[in-house]
Amino acid sequence: MTQQSLTAGRSAALSTRTRKRRIQLRQVPSYLFLGAWSAFTILALSWVVLASVKTNREVFRQPFQIPAEPQWVNYERVWSNSQVGQSFLNSLLIVGVSVVLILVVSAPASYILSRARFKGRGLLTMIYIAGIGIPYPLLFIPLFALLAGIKLINTMPGLILIYVSLSIPFTVYILTGFFSTLPQELEDAAVIDGATDFQVFRKVMLPLASPGLLTASIFNFIGLWNEFQLALIFIQDPDKRPLSLSLYTLKNSMTYSGDWAGLFAGVVIVVVPTILLYIWLSERMISGMTLGSVK
Amino acid sequence: MRVSNRFIALLILPSFALYLIFFIVPTIQALIYSLYDWSGFGAAPQFIGLSNFQELLNDRVFWRSIGNTVGILIVGGIVVFGLAFVMTMMLSSGIRGKKFFRGVIFLPNIIAVIALTTLWGYMYTPRTGLFAVIFDAIGLTDLARFPWMGPDTITIAMMIAIVWIEVGFYVVLLLAGVDKIPPDFYECAKLDGASDWQQFRHITVPLLSDVISIGMVLWSIHALKFFEFPFSFTGLEPNPSSYTVAVYLYILGFGQRQPIYRLGYATAIGVTLLLVVILVVLILRRLTRREVVQY
Repeated sequence: MTQQSLTAGRSAALSTRTRKRRIQLRQVPSYLFLGAWSAFTILALSWVVLASVKTNREVFRQPFQIPAEPQWVNYERVWSNSQVGQSFLNSLLIVGVSVVLILVVSAPASYILSRARFKGRGLLTMIYIAGIGIPYPLLFIPLFALLAGIKLINTMPGLILIYVSLSIPFTVYILTGFFSTLPQELEDAAVIDGATDFQVFRKVMLPLASPGLLTASIFNFIGLWNEFQLALIFIQDPDKRPLSLSLYTLKNSMTYSGDWAGLFAGVVIVVVPTILLYIWLSERMISGMTLGSVK
Repeated sequence: MRVSNRFIALLILPSFALYLIFFIVPTIQALIYSLYDWSGFGAAPQFIGLSNFQELLNDRVFWRSIGNTVGILIVGGIVVFGLAFVMTMMLSSGIRGKKFFRGVIFLPNIIAVIALTTLWGYMYTPRTGLFAVIFDAIGLTDLARFPWMGPDTITIAMMIAIVWIEVGFYVVLLLAGVDKIPPDFYECAKLDGASDWQQFRHITVPLLSDVISIGMVLWSIHALKFFEFPFSFTGLEPNPSSYTVAVYLYILGFGQRQPIYRLGYATAIGVTLLLVVILVVLILRRLTRREVVQY
């Protein structure tokens, strides 16, 4: 350590000691504001969980009380009667297959776009990324006509195809960010050792990019798990609905059935997988999210 | 890295084929369909030139939906970015629990919109909802009676919820930018006697200009295609007074309560939406273009 940084360090230590009190006092509004905001968010979500084990009477008569007896039967009711169970499985299938396919097609393209040198690379990257700016509603009608033409309307493979295709721009954007941070040396070393182009990609670069692949899968999983706009257009049969669309129909039928407790149980079923994933992997998500935009 | 053209083609092709067929071609088709009168997927489209766009000029529901969408874009944008800035400053002031607060503020972003509209609908319930009870408890009886879900006030109710959901994303983005600014900059400024505001104005904002610019572009793209929240907030189909452009487009093409099936006209709305996105992004790019500050 140099003399300069030593003194700087000491003066910093000194100043924090003398200013400690004042700084903490200055932070009080921050703690209050951020604390209140967080408390609101956590309470609002807990309130839904609480409402999901109440009777329909209690949901509105005693909105803030702990229920007299937890009504787990609400979960049973929506799971079997309202086809939430079926849609849960549909969602697992649709989203799982989509996420795998998204990575299978996007990772090779991102590798090429960020590391290979060829004419028109910049233009091609721009074409891929431009998709982020195209609003989905523009595609509703042409895609419906297209899918009807190939007889994939109202089928899970059709929805998967749409999900995969529309997720490519965003995924390529994230993955090119990851691939371009990888060191050149390893690539060169592999080439010198006689690896083929494909081996360099498959055996050297792809494993190195696995944190990026994981980040991209989490984002796509959460995004598609929650998606209901496209599902609303391309799926009509109740037994093919993904979970979020099922919850939408459940919410609409509430106007007639009044089964709010059941609706809240449905909400909890939709939300639990993404919240668990978030609690487990939020650091990775947050660092991955800013990779492309904050250099 | 140098690789063979065959290899490049092989790795690009799968994603590019999907992207081309299900994203780029439908976008171009949309531009064409918008020039047709087309009254259902079974019917033959009739070429009518720019008549759809002329009709849009006199469509009051369309202008209302433009008003709502631009309202979300501008009013929502100002509130979201203002709050995100305040929260970022608070979080980066050296407080404890920074990661926890950031994690909770971001949380609504990973929850299905349909679950969030259910939650907010319940909170806005007259008399027994969370807001009514809280405002009653602190004596603000006028606010407690506020008809949140009334046709004139629903946009306000929606805006509050949207701000709560969206702000976390921009906090994460801005915070990542702030964390990259070397702390010496602030040390030097403090030594020179710069106030907090001066530090914010002359260090933080200029060094964040790239992040802010990307954040605003992302917000605009996102806000202009708002669909899921307004669509599912009210139960059944929303009232025309709270239509966004994307919702109106959907109602015209696929609306279930009263099928309209004006496919060409709906697509013309989508094309207008795309033009607005391009225009707004260009304006933002121009406004925020400045010399890149290196550090």
